[in-house]
Amino acid sequence: MNHILSIQLSGSAGAVIRTLGLIERRGFSLGTVSVGNVENGGRVMQVEVSSTRPGDLLKRQLERLHDVLHVELKPAGVINPRRPDLRALPGEHK
Amino acid sequence: MKPTTQIAPKLRSGSEILIEALERNAVKTIFGYPGGTIMPVYDALVGSGLKHYLCRHEQGAALAADAFGRVTRKAGVCIATSGPGATNLVTGIANAFMDSVPMVIITGQVPSPLQGTDAFQEVDIFGITLPIVKHSYIVRSVNDIPHIVNEAFQLAQSGRPGPVLIDLPKDISAGMGDVVYTPPLAWPAACPPDTEAMQTAAEMLSRARRPLVIAGGGIAISDSVEVFRQFITRTGLPVTCTLKGLGVIPPDDPNYVGMLGMHGNGAANHAVQNCDLLMVVGARFDDRATGHLAQFAPSARIIHLDIDAAEISKLRKADVAIISELAPALEGIRPAGLANPGWRAQCAGWSKEFAWRYDAPVKGIYAPKLLRDLSRARPVGMTITCDVGQHQMWVAQHCRFNDPLEHISSGGLGTMGYGLPAAIGAKLAKPEATVVCVSGDGSIMMNIQELATLKRYGIDIKILLLDNSALGLVRQWQEIFFEGNYSEVHLADNPDFAAVARAFGIQARSIIEPEEVGDALEWLLNTDTAALLHVSIDSMENVWPLVPPGKPNHKMMRSNPQR
Repeated sequence: MNHILSIQLSGSAGAVIRTLGLIERRGFSLGTVSVGNVENGGRVMQVEVSSTRPGDLLKRQLERLHDVLHVELKPAGVINPRRPDLRALPGEHK
Repeated sequence: MKPTTQIAPKLRSGSEILIEALERNAVKTIFGYPGGTIMPVYDALVGSGLKHYLCRHEQGAALAADAFGRVTRKAGVCIATSGPGATNLVTGIANAFMDSVPMVIITGQVPSPLQGTDAFQEVDIFGITLPIVKHSYIVRSVNDIPHIVNEAFQLAQSGRPGPVLIDLPKDISAGMGDVVYTPPLAWPAACPPDTEAMQTAAEMLSRARRPLVIAGGGIAISDSVEVFRQFITRTGLPVTCTLKGLGVIPPDDPNYVGMLGMHGNGAANHAVQNCDLLMVVGARFDDRATGHLAQFAPSARIIHLDIDAAEISKLRKADVAIISELAPALEGIRPAGLANPGWRAQCAGWSKEFAWRYDAPVKGIYAPKLLRDLSRARPVGMTITCDVGQHQMWVAQHCRFNDPLEHISSGGLGTMGYGLPAAIGAKLAKPEATVVCVSGDGSIMMNIQELATLKRYGIDIKILLLDNSALGLVRQWQEIFFEGNYSEVHLADNPDFAAVARAFGIQARSIIEPEEVGDALEWLLNTDTAALLHVSIDSMENVWPLVPPGKPNHKMMRSNPQR
């Protein structure tokens, strides 16, 4: 499943790399990433991700980060269909 | 000329500001090791209200702070210099992260202008620890210190606790500022439990034919033990515990069916595989608890209570999720009663059928029996810290815990070397407790240097060292799953551990015969200083039962069929 995440971040040092690191570590492959500044000193990031893992789980994992102020998750078309590093979760999701 | 009435702001160093910020967050005890870039902080430490314990390796300091945090439920604090000092903390930070332990870590860093130049003892500890902290900071201004420290403690201790790192460049710790302190931050209020979800959960529990509760580490972390016990008494639901949940229910409670999982009890694993409704309280479906996930509790619907929304439906889909503090949720779930009293009887039957036995023919001292005797010798007021391996599983199986904070074990990370520094942290957090570190001959060597810390501060820890001259759990797996192809597990050339302890100034005794156990335990527990009891056990003894990897929990092995 592919998703587009719109993420509002604080302006803290490391916020972007912390967020991108979590996405990959939690089993999602990164597609296009764009990062911009917003007026209050924060950042806004748009990320395409693909994974066999559920996108709403990633959203909740991102929302745990202190630097992440808001996450929106939208389904997307096929982004990156042949990434070899996609990892399925153990077992069937019941 | 008009005289000035303005008082010049008092300039203080970043390190003095840091120490006061820690004191304002009620810190009294810190663990650490000095070095180059953290020297300004150690300079300010002299004469402060903080008691610093010099551990003899930074990993020891981090693991001691971890156990201190578990027992006090307040962030344990550890401190180290940049470079190797900081990297040596990493295992301790990961340990706290995996077990949701509140911790604040302060690392020295090379001065800001040198950062990014491969300066002496420069490492990017902020980057290295990103995956294993709840949050982290690099301090960029002296005047930011009080606010960052306040926020670090709030984050570490609130919600699902975890470690928070503050990286402090030397130009900041040695620089001057004129800060205004603000009071420590209050914890943000957690969302109240969803009323409708609690109602649905109560109805499901009332209707279920075979309901079961899994009690996890979150119950102790959130200080909900009493509320949980009341819930179980009120509902009569059978309860199984995870490793970290041990002690949330007294071992003799009629509702208790034991610990589940890879080395769990047969009753617990049969109950969990046969239940039709599983209420999971502050636990996270760890693979050591579930066995083969797809076959875990195959007929059960799931009610999941957790403060962390990201644990819901991570590994097993929840039919009902309640994301809140545990206590109000447990108080609010009020099932009408159990639909099927026969299920309780069945669980009680399994408990009887799979009760631990201590009469197996063994060579020499039988560790499970010795650990049972240890619990009997000191039934209240004893805290046991563990290392990792066979002895850790035997402690979980055979020691009796009346409170989860009596059992301090590295669950998620499985850190060999945890036991001795953890005992130091636990004893300093709760000086009135008898603290016993149960260790193995593999694990003790991972942080043996902390014997010097015991001696230096006169910390009264009892070490029970189970020595099977092997890396026992790895040896057991090689025996069972690698056709006895033993690879790098034999430790017949171990040092004389009693002599090692004595060299550090710690009293020690060695025993080898079963008849010596009673006297030796008496000696260990009644010695009024730190002491080590070295116990030689059979190197071929295994931990049973064992759920083989990839198998469901009820497919437990009880012996090695090849032997």
